[in-house]
Amino acid sequence: SPGAMGGYDHVGGMTQQFGQMGMGGQAPMQPAPQMMPQPMGNQQAQGLNPLVTIDLMHTPFNASELDLAPPSIILPPNAALTPSPNSNCPPQYMRSTINAVPATNSLLKRSKLPFALIIQPYTSLHDAEDPVPLVSDTVISRCRRCRSYINPFATFLDHGNRWRCNMCNLTNDVPQAFDWDAQTQKTVDRWQRAELNYSVVEFIAPQEYMVRPPQPLVYLFVLDVSFAAVQSGLLATAARTILESLDRIPNADKRTRLGFLCVDTSLHYFSISRETNEPSMMVVSDLEEPFLPIPGDLLVPLADCREGIENLLGKMQDMFQNTQNNGSCMGSALQAGHKIISAIGGKMVVLTASIPNVGAGKLEMREDKKILGTSKENTLLQTANSFYKSFAVECSKNQVSVDMFLFANGYQDVASLSNLPRYTGGQTWHYPGWNASRSEDAIKFAREFSDHLSAEIALEAVMRVRATTGLRMQTFYGNFFNRSSDLCAFPAFPRDQGYVVEVAIDETLGNKFVCMQTAVLHTTCNGERRIRVMTLALPTTQNIADLYASADQVAITTYYAHKAVEKSLSGGLEAAREALQSKIQELLITYKKECTASHMGGSSPLSFAANLRGLVVLFLALMKHVGLRKSSQIPTDLRSAALALLSTLPAPLLMQYIYPRLYSLHDMPDNCGVIDPATGEITMPPPMNLSSERLHPYGLYLIDDGQTQFLWIGAQAVPQLIEDVFGLPDINHLKVGKTSLPAIEGSEFNEKVRNVIAKSRDHKSKKVGTITVPHLYIVRQDGEPSLRLWAMTMLIEDRADGSVGLTQFLGSLREKVGSS
Amino acid sequence: MDMEAQKDQWLAQEEQDGVRLSWNVFPSNRIESSRLVVPIGVLYTPLKEKEQPPVQYEPVTCKSPCRAVLNPYCQVDARAKLWICPFCLQRNMLPPHYKDIGPNAWPLELSPGYSTIEYKLARPAPAPPIFLFVVDTCQEEDSLKALKDSLIMSLSLLPPHALVGLITYGTMTHIHELGYTECAKSYVFRGNKEYTAKQVQEMLGLLAPGLRPQQPMVPGRPQAHLPPSSRFLLPVQNCEFQLTNALEQLQKDPWPVANDKRPLRCTGVALSVAVGLLETSFANTGARIMLFSGGPSTEGPGMVVGPELREPIRSHHDIERDHIKYYKKATKFYDNMARRTAHNGHIIDIFAGCLDQVGLLEMKSLANFTGGHMILTDSFTSSMFRQSFVKIFDKDGEDNLLMGFNASLEVLTTKELKVTGLIGHAVSMNKKSTSVGETEVGIGNTCSWKMCGITPTTSVATYFEIASQAGPAQPQQGQQKGLIQFLTYYQHSSGHFHLRVTTIGKDITTPTGDPSIAHSFDQETAAVLMTRIAVFKAEVDDGPDVLRWVDRMLIRLCSRFADYRKDDPTSFRLDKNFTLYPQFMFHLRRSQFLQVFNNSPDETAFYRHVLNREDVSNSLIMIQPTLDSYTFDEPPRPVLLDSTSIQPNTILLLDTFFHILIFHGETIAEWKKIGYQDQEGYENFKELLELPKEDAKELISDRFPLPRFIVCDAGGSQARFLLSKLNPSTTHTTGGYGGVPQNAQTIFTDDVSLQTFMESLMKLAVTGTH
Ligand SMILES: [Zn+2]
Ligand SMILES: [Zn+2]
Repeated sequence: SPGAMGGYDHVGGMTQQFGQMGMGGQAPMQPAPQMMPQPMGNQQAQGLNPLVTIDLMHTPFNASELDLAPPSIILPPNAALTPSPNSNCPPQYMRSTINAVPATNSLLKRSKLPFALIIQPYTSLHDAEDPVPLVSDTVISRCRRCRSYINPFATFLDHGNRWRCNMCNLTNDVPQAFDWDAQTQKTVDRWQRAELNYSVVEFIAPQEYMVRPPQPLVYLFVLDVSFAAVQSGLLATAARTILESLDRIPNADKRTRLGFLCVDTSLHYFSISRETNEPSMMVVSDLEEPFLPIPGDLLVPLADCREGIENLLGKMQDMFQNTQNNGSCMGSALQAGHKIISAIGGKMVVLTASIPNVGAGKLEMREDKKILGTSKENTLLQTANSFYKSFAVECSKNQVSVDMFLFANGYQDVASLSNLPRYTGGQTWHYPGWNASRSEDAIKFAREFSDHLSAEIALEAVMRVRATTGLRMQTFYGNFFNRSSDLCAFPAFPRDQGYVVEVAIDETLGNKFVCMQTAVLHTTCNGERRIRVMTLALPTTQNIADLYASADQVAITTYYAHKAVEKSLSGGLEAAREALQSKIQELLITYKKECTASHMGGSSPLSFAANLRGLVVLFLALMKHVGLRKSSQIPTDLRSAALALLSTLPAPLLMQYIYPRLYSLHDMPDNCGVIDPATGEITMPPPMNLSSERLHPYGLYLIDDGQTQFLWIGAQAVPQLIEDVFGLPDINHLKVGKTSLPAIEGSEFNEKVRNVIAKSRDHKSKKVGTITVPHLYIVRQDGEPSLRLWAMTMLIEDRADGSVGLTQFLGSLREKVGSS
Repeated sequence: MDMEAQKDQWLAQEEQDGVRLSWNVFPSNRIESSRLVVPIGVLYTPLKEKEQPPVQYEPVTCKSPCRAVLNPYCQVDARAKLWICPFCLQRNMLPPHYKDIGPNAWPLELSPGYSTIEYKLARPAPAPPIFLFVVDTCQEEDSLKALKDSLIMSLSLLPPHALVGLITYGTMTHIHELGYTECAKSYVFRGNKEYTAKQVQEMLGLLAPGLRPQQPMVPGRPQAHLPPSSRFLLPVQNCEFQLTNALEQLQKDPWPVANDKRPLRCTGVALSVAVGLLETSFANTGARIMLFSGGPSTEGPGMVVGPELREPIRSHHDIERDHIKYYKKATKFYDNMARRTAHNGHIIDIFAGCLDQVGLLEMKSLANFTGGHMILTDSFTSSMFRQSFVKIFDKDGEDNLLMGFNASLEVLTTKELKVTGLIGHAVSMNKKSTSVGETEVGIGNTCSWKMCGITPTTSVATYFEIASQAGPAQPQQGQQKGLIQFLTYYQHSSGHFHLRVTTIGKDITTPTGDPSIAHSFDQETAAVLMTRIAVFKAEVDDGPDVLRWVDRMLIRLCSRFADYRKDDPTSFRLDKNFTLYPQFMFHLRRSQFLQVFNNSPDETAFYRHVLNREDVSNSLIMIQPTLDSYTFDEPPRPVLLDSTSIQPNTILLLDTFFHILIFHGETIAEWKKIGYQDQEGYENFKELLELPKEDAKELISDRFPLPRFIVCDAGGSQARFLLSKLNPSTTHTTGGYGGVPQNAQTIFTDDVSLQTFMESLMKLAVTGTH
């Protein structure tokens, strides 16, 4: 077998690693027996992460710890086929709540720790920003029994002619073409294959992976044209944004098709003549069983009908500008839209400023201020009309995904409407009080919507997670339809969402490590059938201390955020908060019992693993989050929108949404807010804990939860600061509210502040894709009280509004743990 | 007075008043009346064109509830400024501005020459006339193209202020919002669902703004004053471009049609939408819904045949055998719609352009109840369609369309007479008055009918009975007259309401019986009035029953008015003004009106529709076609509608009203084939060939609808059409009997000949056993 060594040339630092792995000069084509995982009993337990216990009362959490990497995954020396540094899955794609897996279910139960995977198959809106190695020869080797894809943790046998599955241990034949390049008609070096070197790869799928030819990308825009939508400028802004985004909508294969359906109390269909490029509008007011007015032509190819589409979008505002119609038959419109695209599948992008009040899925204004904050509040968070679930399931079956952009001025029943995205792999975007006459609103929506349209979404996707025998994927969280026990269906696969899978341990895990493999079979928006495969290997242990030492507080919080959303819908907000409270308590008690010496003497400390130091704060933050906190002031729609975000945001954004960033700007170090020449990135000031004690009355701060940014100015801010940042003579000239920070000519500090704000919005460095452009509010310490209070709700370590502060929280926990 | 003079007088009255009566003298009591056999009837043409222009003042009317209009039969006391109404005998004051009338200054309506007078009323129509096209798009490209061309052309024939609208249909119904300028826009209704009027209105957004939920007030935005329907119906002058565009862009219905299927056509829904649209905003305002149907309805309410091609559309035989899946339901659907439309004052025209049937039979009431037109053609590409369609838009000297809208007819009688009904294109307005009789002929139990659409040729048959029972003679002064006043109120296309008043008075016989009544018999009018009754009966009764009724009435009439010795058929003689009547009845029995099996149900519906709107002379052509013979060195002459008229060296010109046929005798056909007409020295032959063509052209020129024109040769397949109309005097059963020339054409039919018919009639009439 020629060129065996050459295969490693592209992997940096190879020789060095060879040494470490004790492989010497052995040809990897004939794997040595010691490369195979050894049974636990035969060998001494390897050293996993050491457990470091700290006292939460004395070594407080620091906000910057949230940016730390999760505890290392320490695998046996030759667990992977090759010494590639990419052989195990990076945390941005898949991370576990515990980076060491208990060998038995009883150990897991005893630890009280959750075992779940946090999965984010895409880390950017566009492939080019974060490419994944591609296996393009359509030679896909999979286990005959468990259907796992060959991966860096498989092993070769029989002179490389067979491979043993690292999930189920079955021996499989290596495909004939595995070492053969069909294009050059030559043997190739197997070790160059990406799937053996990378834990995250994408395969181009052969014919067998298609039930039908890859579908084109289809966007059906379902636009509210009622009085509210026209008056608020939604229709005009939406039409203009689509028009200006036509070049950004993925269309590399020239097959992308667009359709438009306008909605008030009637359905307005559009066809576009290919001869005249003129649109025709067909109005259907019979909502009993929505029907299509013509058999075809309601979806037109973007490439061929560009002029007609532009023509239509250019006219759309004028078409409806005189409307007096105040109704919306959005449910019926969705049924009609489904009829239009169900033969192909695709996205229905709904933009509406109305509550659907006629036709199918009719909703009512059911929000009752009197029950906000009471135990009955959760009924408002539940779906009011079964249509939204059953129709969503229907959509999922036909590869139709729904995105909801919601703009109502009053109650819109986000709780019900968000079901459509929830079960179809879509997303709910909520723009409360939006009006295009405020340029901030118009710009925010236009940018987000345009980015949304530009995203290289996948289509007709299914996601399955396979794992080493003994492990079972138990519960799935996220926006999709759980088609069978372990299969999640996504008519469209978004690039800006995360998923959580709870893992059960059914059998004792005999191996030193286990693997979990997520596969997303999908059609790219350019008409290619592909499978994205991510394989994560984790060591096993029989030691509870290893579990705690390897526990990932970010993953755990992400998992419990999903659990809390689920609980708040089923059992209510109070129950959800109580569950969080008792969980953190249980973990601390368990830790005390299982991981610390029984008598420490003196004042009883609140012991916990150092790597979980943030968990208490994060749980507190979660309980005080707008989606969950006890309050009679939070409009139901805001809550529902927040719950939708809590259950979909990828972990990095979710963390910030739960525990916002607080930066002190007036005193930031000189190197902050400017580009670091070494990295080319803007250096951020260190994040601070969310406590108002940190805010000085003369200071300037940025509070940012990823959805909203507050620029907080102390009442005693000196005129120079105001002058430098805002170009205004003093604080009394500074208007509070939604704004954008103007560039002040010649003010270096202004530029630094703007840089910090911009960098805080930069998602690429967070390894996450999102369209969100946060609103920026200027808040004065001495300004408008409601705005100030809103900003202050983000300072979750404070004791305010009847809720506990961090100090109290820790105190009460210590009491409970102490008395346990 | 001899018969010719009498007929001239009747024709003169027809010319002046648009009336012809079966009996021109009225009997004095019911017994005498019932012995007339043929009822007293008036065939009235309300808008018969007059030389006198309408007068531009309001009519003087009697007190309520009589409301009779001042007329030449009224007694006027000029000094007392009074007039006595002959209908109710009330005294009425003349209006103040009549104070100066006297022998030297009679108002027109009192002059004998103004027994028919038309008033142009001050009251304007609430809206200009409305034309709503309902176009079937399930058509071949060429047919649709031809239809589009005709429709576009018709826009130039409409008054510029007329409102127009467009509905197209196929699998679904589209109503085009012509007032929308941003792009082509239509409202779509599904084809397989029955929409109520209210649903149509809601779905088109036609309900009053207050009824719409949560109507916002928009500050600074002027509230539109136009009715909501103005989005769909616009003045031609404002939307000609838009409508022409919409018509030009019309495509064949885009829904796919399998090879073994008919296209889905939702004619019923399309009409529902049209009717619903007009009903909301334009009730009792002149409007025409013009339906252009390219085939049968196969979808939704009003479907007449299923979409499966292997399922044939119903025939007369199917109907007779009650083998009909959709017929009753569809008929009921269209009847209801027709009644609704009529009460709204709107018209529905049906233009069929299809080789097959389109369901005219089921839809007939749409036109029959609303005074609409029915035009049955093979295709919209045919000149028959094109020319008939254009003719609808004929104009008078003032450039006003020759059509009246939203018309109603009221009949007033003096106490001796009661009106028993009307047969024609109308529905009852269910108005009771002292003029309403006890019995019912046609549409009865009312003195008032809604006609909606009316043209100068529209003719209705009205029937009367005598009120007084037989008994002691009423005291009377001088010759008593029975009076009938017809009041036709309608929206003139100029935009004003008009009232046409015709008052006729006829002598009443003395109670003892009077021979003058027999002399007053107008056999032509009587034949037409009886035909209408027979056809009216045929619509509900079995064919044989109707034929028996026709026979019975004829025999009774003959027994009553012929001279004969009892039980001696050879002694049978009829007065001159009765002699043609049996022949008319003979041909009526054989006509397509009563013998339906040679025609499709649609054709029957069409023929009967046309019959019910024509005047006496046109109706007679339909009952007994005319036949003219052309030969060398002789002027053309009418010949008997008899097989003996077929001669080798003659050309025949047959006019059945619906068909005009030129038939070349055997020799003529042969010569034509050889081409003599193009050779020198045979100019007379060429002329002979041309002459009937010229005459046919003449006949066609003012015929509506345009007749089918057929030229055929002896022995040709088209000749059967002529043969079917001829009296079978020489059938194969009669052999050469009766001095029939040997070269006469022999007709193979088992129909009874006129001769046999007359023989039986005479025999039965004289036995007196009926
Ligand atoms: Zn396997
Ligand atoms: Zn009177």
